[in-house]
Amino acid sequence: MVEFSTILAGFGDVFTLWNLAFVLFGVVVGQFVGAVPGIGPVMAMAIAIPFTFGLDTLPAIAFLVGVSKGGLVGGAVPAVLMNTPGTPDAAATAMDGYPLARQGKPLKATKMALFSSVTGDTFSDIVLITVSAPLAILALRMGPVEVFGLMIFAFAILSGLIGNSLMKGVIAAAFGLLCSMVGADPENNTPRLLFGYWQNYDGLPLASVAIGMLAISEILRRLSQITGKMQSAVEVIDTGNPDDRRVTWAEYWSCRYTMARGAVIGTILGALPGIGSTAAAFMSYASAKGASKEPETFGKGNLHGIAAAESANSAVVGANLIPLLTLGIPGSVGAALIISALMIHGVQPGPLLFENQGRLIYGLFGAMIMANLMNLWIGQLGLRFWIKVVSAPESIIFSSALLLCIVGVSMATGGIFGVAIMLIFAGLGYLMTSFGYSVVIFIIAFFLGPRFEMSLSQSLALMNGDWTRITNYPVALVLMALAGCSVFWFSTSARRSQT
Amino acid sequence: MQNADRITGGFFLVFGIVLYLAVIPNNVSDMEGGWILPTTIPNASALIMALCGGVLVVKPTVQDIHSPTEFMRAGFFFALLCLGLWAMSYVGFVYAGPAIALVLMGLIGERRPVWIVTSVVLLPAAIWFLVAVILERSLP
Repeated sequence: MVEFSTILAGFGDVFTLWNLAFVLFGVVVGQFVGAVPGIGPVMAMAIAIPFTFGLDTLPAIAFLVGVSKGGLVGGAVPAVLMNTPGTPDAAATAMDGYPLARQGKPLKATKMALFSSVTGDTFSDIVLITVSAPLAILALRMGPVEVFGLMIFAFAILSGLIGNSLMKGVIAAAFGLLCSMVGADPENNTPRLLFGYWQNYDGLPLASVAIGMLAISEILRRLSQITGKMQSAVEVIDTGNPDDRRVTWAEYWSCRYTMARGAVIGTILGALPGIGSTAAAFMSYASAKGASKEPETFGKGNLHGIAAAESANSAVVGANLIPLLTLGIPGSVGAALIISALMIHGVQPGPLLFENQGRLIYGLFGAMIMANLMNLWIGQLGLRFWIKVVSAPESIIFSSALLLCIVGVSMATGGIFGVAIMLIFAGLGYLMTSFGYSVVIFIIAFFLGPRFEMSLSQSLALMNGDWTRITNYPVALVLMALAGCSVFWFSTSARRSQT
Repeated sequence: MQNADRITGGFFLVFGIVLYLAVIPNNVSDMEGGWILPTTIPNASALIMALCGGVLVVKPTVQDIHSPTEFMRAGFFFALLCLGLWAMSYVGFVYAGPAIALVLMGLIGERRPVWIVTSVVLLPAAIWFLVAVILERSLP
C-alpha cells in the first residue's frame, strides 16, 4: 500500500509554479486544438510528446493530461457552432448544441458543455484516485500466465468493440503485433525483420508509428478532401439578451441527474478498454432522452442533451487511466500516448507503478484535478476566443501540424530515419482507415506486442512448456474463456446485425 | 461496398501467406533452445492475418470507401511528402520546411499573403527558435 506521506508529497508536487504552468499550458493548447476542426487532442498529444523530452516527468505528463482534458472542452465549440465536432466525442454534443446556437445562444450552449464536461471529468478522476491503488494491489498478484490471459482478453475485447468487423479488428491487432516484432527478440536477442536497416534493432519507434498513423494519415485524409475552397468563417448569431449568453445556477442544477448519469456511464465505459468516449456520449444522450419528461425537445436545443453528452465523454478520460495505471494496458489511443510518454521518461507502466513511482502517480492525480479547475477557468475566459479560432483556415493548420510532426519525430527518434518510418506508417494508416481497419487497435497491439511475447515466454517457462498446466492458473483460464466468449458473442452479434 | 472487403481480405490472405512462407523465414534467424522461437509470434501473426483475410473474402462486410479521385489526391500528397523528406535529408529543415509549407498551401488553394507568410516564414522560424535555441536540439 502506498504510504500516506507519499500521497501527500505527490499531490504537493503539483503545486509548484512550474508544474502548474505546464498544466495550464496543456489546458490552453488542448482547448485550442480541440476547437480547431482537424487537429484534435490526440493529434496534439502525439505531436507534443517529443517536445516534452527536455522536461521532468511530472510536468511532461501533466502537460499531456492538460491537452487531453482541454481538448474535450474545446471539441464542443465547433460542434456547437458549426455542427462539425472538433473531436468525435463531441458528435453527440452537436445534436442539441448546434440547434441552440442557431437560436442565438451559442455561448449558453458552449458554457453548458464546459460545466458538464468539468463535472463529469472531476467525478471520474475521483473514482480513478480512489479505485486504482487497490486495483493495482490486486493486479500485483497476477503472474505472467495471468498477464498473458489478460492480454488475450484485451485483444479480444478491442478487436470486437472497435470498428465494424471483428475480422478486421483481429487483422489490425495481428498486424500491429507483427510490426512490434521488428528488432531483437527478447529471449535470444536475435535480430528480426530488419531488412538491412540496423536502426531498427531496438524496434520501430513508437513515436514514428503513432504520429504517422494518427496525425499524418489524418492530415493526408483531410488534404485529399480539400477542393481548393477556403473554409469560410463561422457566423455567430447573437440575440443581445444577456440570459442567452450564460448558464444560470438553476439551469445547471436542473441538469444534475443528467450529468450524474452521464458521469457514471462515462466512468464505467472508460474503465473498459476500447469502448471510448464517443460511445459513452451517445449512450448517455440516449439514456437522458429516455428519462426525460420532454423527449421531443431533444435535438432541438435541450440543455440536458448537451449535459448528458459532455459529462459522459469527459468522464471517460479519467477512467481510461484505470487499466493503464493498474495493469499497464492502455484503453484508448490517448492512454497509449500517455503510456509512451511515461516510457520515454523511463517510467514502466503497470501495477508496480504505485510501489515504485507512487509520488509521481499521485502527482499525476493532482495534476488531473488541477487541470479540471483550469479547464473551467480557461474555458470561462477563452470561449469567446475559441469561437474565433474555429474559423482558422485549414491551410495553415495542416501545414503547421505537418512541420511540427516532422520535427517532433526527428527529435524523438534522433534523425530523419524515424521521419521516414513515420511516413510509411502514415501511408499504412491512411489505407487502413480508408478500408475500415482500426488504427487504434493496431497501435495498442503494437504497444503491447513486446510485453505479450515476454509474458508468453515466461508463462511457458513457468508451465515447463506444458499447456495443460494452465489448469493450475484459474484466473488465466477464466480470462481466456472470457476472451473466447467475447469473440463468439461479437461474431454472432455481427451476424445478427447483418441479417 | 462488399468488394472493398473482398479485395483487402484477399490482400491480407496473400500477404499473410507470403510473410509466413518467404519473408519471415528469410529475415528471422531461428535459434535452438528457449521457450518460444524468434519466429513464433511473427508466424502466428502472419497466419492470423491470412486466416481472417480469407474469412473476409468469403464473408465481407459492407464498407464505404473514398472515391478513386480522393485516393489519387492522397497518393499525390504522400508522394509530395516523400519528396520533401528526401530534400530535407540533403538541405535540412531550415530550407526544406518552409518549401514544403509553401507548396502545400499553394496546392490547398491558399492565396492570402498573411496566412502564407505566417505558415512559410513565422511558423518555421518559431519551430527553429523552440527546438534549436530553447531546447538546444538539432533540427532534421
